[in-house]
Amino acid sequence: MKTSPRIQKEVIEKCKAGDEKAFAEVVLHSQKKVFNIAYRMLGNMEEAKDLAQEVFLSVFESIKDLKEEIKFEAWLTQITLNHCRNRWKYLKRRQYFNSDSLDDPIETEDGSMPRAIVDPSDNPETLYEKKSIQQFIQRGLMKLKEDQRELIVLRDLQGFSYEEMGQLLGLPEGTIKSKLHRARMDLKETLERCAH
Amino acid sequence: MDCEKVRDQFSSLWEKELIPSEEKIVREHLASCPECQKEFEQFEKTMGWLRSAGDVEIPEGFLPELYKKMDGRKKAPLVEKSRGKWSIFTPSFKLPAQAVAMVAIVFLVLYLTKMMPMEVFQPREAEQTSSPVLVEKKSEQVSAQKEMGKEQKTMRTLPETTRSKDINLAQAPVPEEEKLKEAYAPRVKAEAKKTEPPSPKAEIMAYQRIDSKEEAKVKIPSPEPGRVGKGLAAKEESLIASKPPQEIILRISDREKVIPQLHELVKQFGGEMVTTERNMFLASLPSDSLLEFEKELASLSDPTQADKVIAKKQITGSLRAAPGMKRDEIDEKSKKSARPATDAEGRITIRILLIQE
Repeated sequence: MKTSPRIQKEVIEKCKAGDEKAFAEVVLHSQKKVFNIAYRMLGNMEEAKDLAQEVFLSVFESIKDLKEEIKFEAWLTQITLNHCRNRWKYLKRRQYFNSDSLDDPIETEDGSMPRAIVDPSDNPETLYEKKSIQQFIQRGLMKLKEDQRELIVLRDLQGFSYEEMGQLLGLPEGTIKSKLHRARMDLKETLERCAH
Repeated sequence: MDCEKVRDQFSSLWEKELIPSEEKIVREHLASCPECQKEFEQFEKTMGWLRSAGDVEIPEGFLPELYKKMDGRKKAPLVEKSRGKWSIFTPSFKLPAQAVAMVAIVFLVLYLTKMMPMEVFQPREAEQTSSPVLVEKKSEQVSAQKEMGKEQKTMRTLPETTRSKDINLAQAPVPEEEKLKEAYAPRVKAEAKKTEPPSPKAEIMAYQRIDSKEEAKVKIPSPEPGRVGKGLAAKEESLIASKPPQEIILRISDREKVIPQLHELVKQFGGEMVTTERNMFLASLPSDSLLEFEKELASLSDPTQADKVIAKKQITGSLRAAPGMKRDEIDEKSKKSARPATDAEGRITIRILLIQE
């Protein structure tokens, strides 16, 4: 996981006691991670924002049931992933992702933009901008299977360790590594197709 | 090492997880295989993009919107509570609906159970009435009741026909053999008379007529009820209950003269006068002296009349009803005559009717 200062145990305890200030502190500390996981998993800013808010509402309602404050980060990630899976299924049933062609414009933080049709590395001055890479990567991610996307998001975008991933996904490290490698290779193929 | 195995090691190689000996083998292959080298370069590029993608910035207003949603959630239970108020009324609507449904079901069941037996039992009744055996059985039962004298009691206490019917139904069932005997005896009589069996309706009417006759007997008041004492009435009833009396109709010219002679004659034959009502006398006599008594009685009648004793028959009905009856009714009764019965002491009851010419 990306190095971020761990939220203090006392804050979690206050949050468990129903302290709204402590909850706000928890939200400010974790919102970026929750939102980014949601965005990478769903590929839509609005859906991601809505889902992240739902995640924090769930946290606020059920944090009193958290027994070990030290495991808050993992607990929060688990809640986020569960929400993402449920939302993904919901949107898939409504064929939300069916119209997503490689030529369709992609939604960004600044609105929709045309899809990149060339390798961003060909023009480092313009295309190597962070946002372009994000969208390029997002396009590729959305073409992967859900479980593959989940592995890449956790490991390559959020920086979770294999051990953490094993605990979150309930899989052995070896399985996670092999699955992750397959996901990476698939993403590579997808991005190659997108770039040419 | 072949290309496939080398490509499977790309992730491990990129994350520097391979042991030095394995890494050396893979790198040697990549150096010697341009295709695998190209693949690995592309893989490194993809991983570079992923690692350099970084985080997306949180949309503005994330936290305020979250607080709004939280407020909305807090209000939601209040809404549920307010719904709860309505939910208090909901059962109150449900309960009467259930009650109404139950009442409707009860009425329906009652309606069906009332209607169904009517529909089902009507043919049964028709069958019962259409069966002459059963009708006759009923009539036999009625006559048996007459004989037993129970009917009079029931009729006195319960004059309504329907009530007497109910009492009949409530009576102990007749044993099967007796029922059959009772049922077949009138049938044989009917065949002997060569009369066609009456239609079910006619039979029902006949049955009803029997009832109405009985009812009529009850309704017909005694000509002079004041004269008949309670003791006499009881005695008469006991006599009727024991056996049907014999009736002798006598034509006379001088009533005042004949009546004392009649009393004397009865005493002479060791009998006694039970009832005296104008021209009707009920006398109890020893059965062995009946023939002689009849001869003597004939001498009391008008000597000018050829048929001094015009009728001598068994009486099945009430004795006191006889004077008011018409001749054809008497004849009808005479058809139903049976052997005169005598009681245990060998006495016979006779009714003497005086007809003044």
